Amino acid sequence: MLHLAPVRLLRQSLLLLRSELRQELRDLELVLTSTFFTLVVLGMFYLSFAALEKKHTLPAVPGLLWLTVAFVGTITLTRAFDREREADTLRALLAAPVERLAIYVAKAGSTLLVLLVCCALLVPGLASMFPAGQVFWDMPLETAALVVLGCLGYVAIGTLFAAGLAGGGGKNMLLAVILYPVTTPVLMFALVTTRALLDNNPNLPSYLGQMAALDVILLGVGALLFEPVLVGSAPARSAAAAQRAARAGARRQESP
Amino acid sequence: MTGAPAPITPIVLRSVSQRFGRKVVLRGVDLELRAGSITGLVGANGAGKTTLFLILAGLLQPDGGERRFGGREVGDVDLELRARLAFVAHAPQLYPGLSARANLELFAELRRAAGLSSRPADDVLRGLGLPVDALDRPVSTFSRGMAQRVALARAVAGDPELLLLDEPFTALDARGRSQLAGALLAERDRGAAILLSSHDQGTLLRVCDRLVLLEAGAIVREVERGGDDPAAFAVRAAAVLDAVGPDDHAA
Repeated sequence: MLHLAPVRLLRQSLLLLRSELRQELRDLELVLTSTFFTLVVLGMFYLSFAALEKKHTLPAVPGLLWLTVAFVGTITLTRAFDREREADTLRALLAAPVERLAIYVAKAGSTLLVLLVCCALLVPGLASMFPAGQVFWDMPLETAALVVLGCLGYVAIGTLFAAGLAGGGGKNMLLAVILYPVTTPVLMFALVTTRALLDNNPNLPSYLGQMAALDVILLGVGALLFEPVLVGSAPARSAAAAQRAARAGARRQESP
Repeated sequence: MTGAPAPITPIVLRSVSQRFGRKVVLRGVDLELRAGSITGLVGANGAGKTTLFLILAGLLQPDGGERRFGGREVGDVDLELRARLAFVAHAPQLYPGLSARANLELFAELRRAAGLSSRPADDVLRGLGLPVDALDRPVSTFSRGMAQRVALARAVAGDPELLLLDEPFTALDARGRSQLAGALLAERDRGAAILLSSHDQGTLLRVCDRLVLLEAGAIVREVERGGDDPAAFAVRAAAVLDAVGPDDHAA
């Protein structure tokens, strides 16, 4: 007898996440690529901006942080779904008795973990290289909340679009083209909140709350659209067909 | 107390159509798959066979027509239905870095997490002739034929009521084809409805109870094995296979 949907979802999400991590641990492909990229970017930022005074680096640090997250996120999402595309395993999961939402949760979860590993290098790196980033050391809990919420929002919407392209046979280069515009709101939110953190803005909790609310919305959108994006939706198709039929009927009536 | 769930067979497609952009791939396909019967789907490359498989497996929503499972019209092929069908695609769809056993165990665990049963991975793999020493090797080191056997083992492990096999004999040697044919006949005898497409005419003639010819997205011919005269079926089936053309079969 089938378990209840929430039980299935939880168990299957954990199983798929474990499988993702097990495969990653075999070759560390995503982690190594992403962390190496992060270190290179950090080195380039240091060479370019280290000589500037604190007042000049203050507005730059949020941008450096989230620009790197955006690039690392694109690399990670692209490669994560490339694996599925190469072996066509996403389709095997979609045809199996697996909650499709569990696939989304596992992919988003594993991508989030890779991003957080990179941020574990990136944030201390920025804090060490730039005096403006000293606040990251001084307010570790707020910094952790900011990083987790920002990365979660990015991953929530990014996973949806990466899956859509992988399932539909779209080109990888399209992911970057699509991903940056759709992740702009969450990156802008993260940018503003990071500035509030660096400025010791008393409204920081409110900013973090708004980021959390945005994440909930994006996760909801991702969860709702994941299955229709990958295999289509019968009601949506029916509605579209009904609209087409209605339009055709109207055209027939209009014609003499 | 509730009894066993109603069977999902017969599976019936009525006037199913599908287009991709301007290209019409399926044109009003009618098809019925019965329990305990193997239906061979033949047709030239591009005739729409794989699209038909995807629609039956719930991986594609048809643009029009009906899908009925056990007399019930379904919009989405939901998890409850997917629990009772299995699809083997042209590609083995296995995680290359995982071993054969780990691949099967992952899907068995996913079934169990949903409250479904699954046969032990080793039993199923050995039943399909995979050498015991290969079970723990990464699938990336397998030949195509061996990987195909693992994919088949994954499909039959859940004792599906509907088995969809798109080119399962690809890359199998004669012994592998024979083993697979035996496994399909066992699944049929267990009561599964099987839809099979293949370029292997000999095996199709050997195992199929019915042959359906798909041409340019429409079913144009159908022959059924009668209980009376096996030779007559062979002649009629050969005529259907000839209609596909030897070049396409060899492709």
